[in-house]
Amino acid sequence: MIELQGLTKRYGETRVVDDISLTVEQGEFCVLIGPSGCGKSTTLKMINRLIAHSEGKILLGGEDITTLPPERLRRRIGYAIQSIGLFPHWRVADNIATVPRLLKWPASRIAERVDELLALFQLDDEGLHDKYPHQLSGGQAQRVGVARALAADPDVLLMDEPFGAVDPLTRDTLQAELARVHRQTGKTIVFVTHDMDEALRLASRVALLNAGQLVQYDRPAELLVAPANDFVRDFIGRADLGLKLLSRRRVEAYCRPAQRTRNNAIASAPITWQVDADDRPMALLGGRLGESDIARTVVNTEWTATPEMSMKEALSRMVWFRVTALPVLDGEGRLLGEVTMSGVMGHRS
Amino acid sequence: MPTSDAASARLVANRVLVTLLCAGLLAAWLLPFATMSPNRLASGQTVGLSEALSAWQVIALLALSAVLAVTALRRPLPRELAHSVVLLASLGLLLITLYSLGDYAQRTLVEKSPSARVSQGSAFWVMVFCCALAAIDAFQRASSGWLLRLGYMLIAGGSVAMLFASGHFDDLSIMREYANIRDNFADQFITHLVLVGSALGPALLIGVPLGLLAHRRVRLQGTLFSVLNFFQTIPSIALFALLVAPLSALGNAFPLLGEWGVKGIGAAPAIIALVMYALLPVVRNTYAGLKGVPPATVEAARGMGMTARQVLWRVEIPLALPVMLSGLRIVTVQAIGLTVVAALIGAGGLGAFIFQGLGQYAIDLVLLGAIPTIVLAVIADFTLQMLVVLSKPAGTRR
Repeated sequence: MIELQGLTKRYGETRVVDDISLTVEQGEFCVLIGPSGCGKSTTLKMINRLIAHSEGKILLGGEDITTLPPERLRRRIGYAIQSIGLFPHWRVADNIATVPRLLKWPASRIAERVDELLALFQLDDEGLHDKYPHQLSGGQAQRVGVARALAADPDVLLMDEPFGAVDPLTRDTLQAELARVHRQTGKTIVFVTHDMDEALRLASRVALLNAGQLVQYDRPAELLVAPANDFVRDFIGRADLGLKLLSRRRVEAYCRPAQRTRNNAIASAPITWQVDADDRPMALLGGRLGESDIARTVVNTEWTATPEMSMKEALSRMVWFRVTALPVLDGEGRLLGEVTMSGVMGHRS
Repeated sequence: MPTSDAASARLVANRVLVTLLCAGLLAAWLLPFATMSPNRLASGQTVGLSEALSAWQVIALLALSAVLAVTALRRPLPRELAHSVVLLASLGLLLITLYSLGDYAQRTLVEKSPSARVSQGSAFWVMVFCCALAAIDAFQRASSGWLLRLGYMLIAGGSVAMLFASGHFDDLSIMREYANIRDNFADQFITHLVLVGSALGPALLIGVPLGLLAHRRVRLQGTLFSVLNFFQTIPSIALFALLVAPLSALGNAFPLLGEWGVKGIGAAPAIIALVMYALLPVVRNTYAGLKGVPPATVEAARGMGMTARQVLWRVEIPLALPVMLSGLRIVTVQAIGLTVVAALIGAGGLGAFIFQGLGQYAIDLVLLGAIPTIVLAVIADFTLQMLVVLSKPAGTRR
């Protein structure tokens, strides 16, 4: 658990961080976000004392961080930055072993831990153990950076725009991986970014900062449905606020029972699914935009949905394939239910 | 003209080699290969290459030259192979040139008076020079690893040293001169090395911390670098002379210091001046090396929980080392050269022979001072270049 109490950083007369108070609970994924110069990075670096705070208090597990020597404190906190933070003269294994070595773990335990982390980040089968950072791809280097931060099994992980320098596709993979690692390890994570989509995707809580002040500290969904003021609305992106909201919601919350038929006779309901003997949808009867209600559209694997899919993606598929409903399928391809264009408006959650 | 240029570019891949080859052959044809004089001081008569060399030596020279000419062409040899062939052929040419001169001296002096002398002619020097440049050029073009380079240098140096050790050159004028001063030469050679070493030690001990300080305290940089730059602008001979008066005053005022060797002339002013010259490159390269370490790497190291000392020794110094060693390389070569001048204020070293030889107009004596100085500088340069390569983070070195 991390508590910031009235945290302030002054440079001369300028207050780059101004009286921030917030609590990050155990196991929480807290994302600090805001425009450039809002003080998010400074706030992060004050937690491991890379920057000294001017006023206020930081408690780590109830303990004031100034009671420990800074080096001892930092060895207890994982720290990951952009990939250039890897030590270029050390191999991947040595980079990961940095903190365990500082803590003087026995060599066998270090080797074991390195292998464990390489496996956790799926780096073990690529023969990366003995490679140097410049031989890695951007995505690999970034994963090594996160693995290094987790090496000594810290309770808390600080991450300063770790995925800022990788291409969008790799960033997507890395985000999914980090979410998985967070679920698996239950670490408390404080993560700095300026990318709202990244924040909404990863965070369990978002702290939005502006000009050194905390504007709103909330769950992502609350941030979207109840923005504290116009700044929050603008920062999230006023135009696609609704889409951002849908990107946080999953199809299963919108899924409702589907009307089935075994032949292609038009049923009474406006949208009916023709299914085969195994309950797999074969065609949509009605529900085709711009066609008459009696049109029969063969189900294409690309315009189906799964319960885990985000509603944003489901909506996008409906628009792209010009249908007003998507069949929701289970792992075997059987029809679980449907999501419809009109259903997007109201959901059961 | 442009068309013929383009045509030759298609035909010739290595113009440097062609130029060197032409220069070497022209010199061999037009300039004297050796000179023959009745005694040590008299000026002698010149001997051409055709007269000095035996038939097989001339044939070998021409054959190796022909090989070099072929390697300079775009075809038929592939580039990498051509570089290796150039390295071997130029070493062969060098050895034959050296051997032929010794051989000529041996053959002719049997029939002359004991005081007669054979020395090197201008063609000899041009040929040696061209061979060395061809090898250096091939090194620069080839992508060979440091181990191969080291091996080549050892073989080249070893074979030349063996020619000397076998007594093959003993009849040459310069080697007779050497025989006269053999004991003194060893002393002065060691003095030279000791002077260079005792200047480099303090220069590193003072310069590296100063470079670190300049990196840590931005405000000091301006003053520090302008002072060091100022030292660098003083001509060496003037600096040596300027140090004589204060040091002799110091030595006279404190007899104890005088006993330790603090005197107006001799090693003390020489070492002080050498240290002053060495400081700028050491400080500047230490500073530049540290500045070149990415700030994110240093921040990561601190964020991981390294102490300031651990950050310095485990991250900053290892990453700055190649640049710091390049500084040491500059300083070492520079100190070897400047120590020659220190002989003027009685510090000794190889410079002593040069100035003595200049005074007597004994050119062999001058060469006995100059050639070892050049060889020392080349060896130091090569060794430190190797160290620079080796100090680069593994995997990135070539």
